[in-house]
Amino acid sequence: MHMNDQFDTGMVVLANSGPTSACWSCGEMRAAHFCTSCGKVQPPAPADHFSFFGLPRKLDLDVARLERDFYELSRKLHPDLHGVTDTREQEWSLEQTSKLNDAYRTLKDPIGRTRYLLSLEGVELEEQSKAATEKARSTGQMKQQVVPPDLLEDVFELNMQLEELRVQKKMGEDDPALLEEIGKQKLALEAKQDVLLSELKGYWEEWDSAAEIDDSGRTRVRDKMVDLLNRRNYIRNLVRDVNKVLEM
Amino acid sequence: MSYSDKVIDHYNNPRNVGSMDKGSSEVGTGLVGAPECGDVMKLQIKVNPQTSIIEDAKFKTFGCGSAIASSSLATEWVKGKTVEEALAIKNTEIVKELSLPPVKIHCSVLAEDAIRAAIHDWKKKQETAKPVAVAAQ
Ligand code: FES
Repeated sequence: MHMNDQFDTGMVVLANSGPTSACWSCGEMRAAHFCTSCGKVQPPAPADHFSFFGLPRKLDLDVARLERDFYELSRKLHPDLHGVTDTREQEWSLEQTSKLNDAYRTLKDPIGRTRYLLSLEGVELEEQSKAATEKARSTGQMKQQVVPPDLLEDVFELNMQLEELRVQKKMGEDDPALLEEIGKQKLALEAKQDVLLSELKGYWEEWDSAAEIDDSGRTRVRDKMVDLLNRRNYIRNLVRDVNKVLEM
Repeated sequence: MSYSDKVIDHYNNPRNVGSMDKGSSEVGTGLVGAPECGDVMKLQIKVNPQTSIIEDAKFKTFGCGSAIASSSLATEWVKGKTVEEALAIKNTEIVKELSLPPVKIHCSVLAEDAIRAAIHDWKKKQETAKPVAVAAQ
């Protein structure tokens, strides 16, 4: 978190911007977004979302702080403030602002942040399922599903019930017992989402201290996060669909 | 994104929607999911034990239009094929037939996975059924 302290002066030094990069305007040392010397907006440096905010690649980040930094940078980078005399600077402030928005939107969301970090680590969730299909093809075996079969059964069953309720509602004669049952399921699903989120936070801690553990330890935590996100997609869909039907 | 006419046709008039008796020894059931989007698909086949020909197929999919169309098409294609022939169906053929765009490829993969899972389930039942039949004699 210490790097963040520099935000108060609007000067964030990108870890990868290198000591040699100079401000386009005054030739002094530049920082990530502004020149530390003359305050001009700088062309965006290639940076991932974490380093854009001067943050280490850690999952358990201080969201309140992130939000503060976001608003401050947003204000300072605002295109209206820059480039009155220089159209390049105007363009850069636009580009920086759009990078800022992307980075903020991704990092503030716990799931988005986790997915993003995994993608930086070279893990695309889609790939896992694809690899399982390919393995099944070549061995002639059944595909190993990436979530537990029980979960799929539950998802399927609840979808059947939802469909029934949808039909009933359309005809204006919903069965109170079914309605009650689905209301219960909704609560259970929301509880499950909370459980998954706190489980995920546990993995964050493991991951963030993973510098001290070995490669196999890192891989283990990584796989657990992938597994959790996969399960969560099903739960997320169900919550969405249950709400849709209940609101009919 | 716009769907191809064939997808729309299958979506509006899905073939073979329904279910069969999961407990029957002639029926194989495959329940699969696409973790990237959280959609699920169930595909069932009824196989003639003498000929290994798939005589009937049913599906139920909770997912996007492409997944519904892919599974609808899959049930049409497997009918009349032997299980070995059905195992050879590739998602790329489904993609071609339905003109699915790249972002919808995983939906066709789901259908291929479902076919294989259903056949696997049926085969497993045949293996476990045999010794029982022998013992009964
Ligand atoms: S988007 Fe989920 S199966 Fe098509």
